[in-house]
Amino acid sequence: MKKYLLITLLILATGVLTKAQSSDPLVSNCVMSAGSNTRYLKDFRVQLGKGSSPGEMRYKAQISLWKNTKYRFSMCNSDDSEGQLILTIKDESNKVVLSSFDESTKKVYPFVDFICNKSGIYTLNYDFNEGNQGSGIGVVSMVK
Amino acid sequence: MKEKFIFILLIIACSCFSCRNSSKKTVEFIFPEADSVSLEESEKLSSEAIEEIAKNISSPVEIAYLLQKMSVPFSPDYLASSIDPNKEVTAFKKALSLGILGADLGYLNMYEKTGTSINILSSIQKLAEGIKVGHFFDFKTIKRLSLNKSNLDSLLFLSIDSYTQIDKYLRDNARGQLSSLMIIGVWIEGQYLATQVVKDYPDPMLKDRIGEQKIILNDLILLANPYCNRDDEYKRLCEYLQQIREKYRDVKISYTLGEPESVEKDGGLVITQTETSKVEMTEEQLADIIQITKEIRDKLITKN
Repeated sequence: MKKYLLITLLILATGVLTKAQSSDPLVSNCVMSAGSNTRYLKDFRVQLGKGSSPGEMRYKAQISLWKNTKYRFSMCNSDDSEGQLILTIKDESNKVVLSSFDESTKKVYPFVDFICNKSGIYTLNYDFNEGNQGSGIGVVSMVK
Repeated sequence: MKEKFIFILLIIACSCFSCRNSSKKTVEFIFPEADSVSLEESEKLSSEAIEEIAKNISSPVEIAYLLQKMSVPFSPDYLASSIDPNKEVTAFKKALSLGILGADLGYLNMYEKTGTSINILSSIQKLAEGIKVGHFFDFKTIKRLSLNKSNLDSLLFLSIDSYTQIDKYLRDNARGQLSSLMIIGVWIEGQYLATQVVKDYPDPMLKDRIGEQKIILNDLILLANPYCNRDDEYKRLCEYLQQIREKYRDVKISYTLGEPESVEKDGGLVITQTETSKVEMTEEQLADIIQITKEIRDKLITKN
């Protein structure tokens, strides 16, 4: 009986180790939580202190997005974050194409699916809601 | 006279304003002129700007995914199998080959061709060690994951993450030229894959994706520009990129404006972009791009 228990534990441990490949569990958990119908593309590790001017998103990164592709942008927060990670994407003319934060209801969405119909270079703007301190991961995947 | 001048200014201002607000108006992607990306200008690029450009380059995984969506079967003929890591002598060749094989690895991973990816991984390991960045690859785990097809996302994550770490390390340690080579290598191979497949599978989506590369081609040239006068190898690569750019000169990309539509679903948001991009590329232009890509890629993977 002990032998089977040990084998079961070993199998479970192998499974857990295989799923959590990054040394940072927050990264690997976020990659894996994007969903089984997705394919990982990139991740952005965001760590910010308390912001002084709310409204100005502080972490910016560029990415090329392609027409006829459905992307998933997932956001994950570390336990000690005071705020929740939010994302706004702007196109080359600085026009907002999506936001994971609904200004009117103050709701923060943990992921946004984006059906891209215009190929181009976009700017990802990350911050924590209300300019709070926090650390989190933004994962970009393709939805199959 | 003054009144006439103000009147003309008003008309110009109104017409500009109406352009921005029209939802049906189309705008066109303008290819920056060669001298707008001067060597002097590109040399002034901050490391942050170069890092941003590096992130723009599309992932070979996206090209491979598109091929899968088109039901294109895997073919080992597209791989850069002539690259022999033991024969690549210069850091230039090692870094460029690292990029080329990185793209091949993405293609293999997406098609779950584990046997071949193990061979490519061995070459990648040797090349990475050759430019002293081998420690960023956890080859043991990547090889194990390659054999375990159920963990494709872990495999993609580890492979891409290793390349990202190398890119950052090289830039932080004043070896940005090698990082740029790696990125250019990834792009060239992805472009080669797409242009070879389109010959047999002339799918409009793939044709569009090839035409759309015009959008990031200028960024690639910016990445290479600071090193063009470093030595003959860099000089040749810069000339190659200019040759590709020339073939894209008359490819047109236009945009139709629109407002995004959003709907809440399964706890998240789904945003559909109503703005569209459209590629206008003749069969002749495509044929030229296919040819120049093959010529240059073949020169880069064969020993000089």
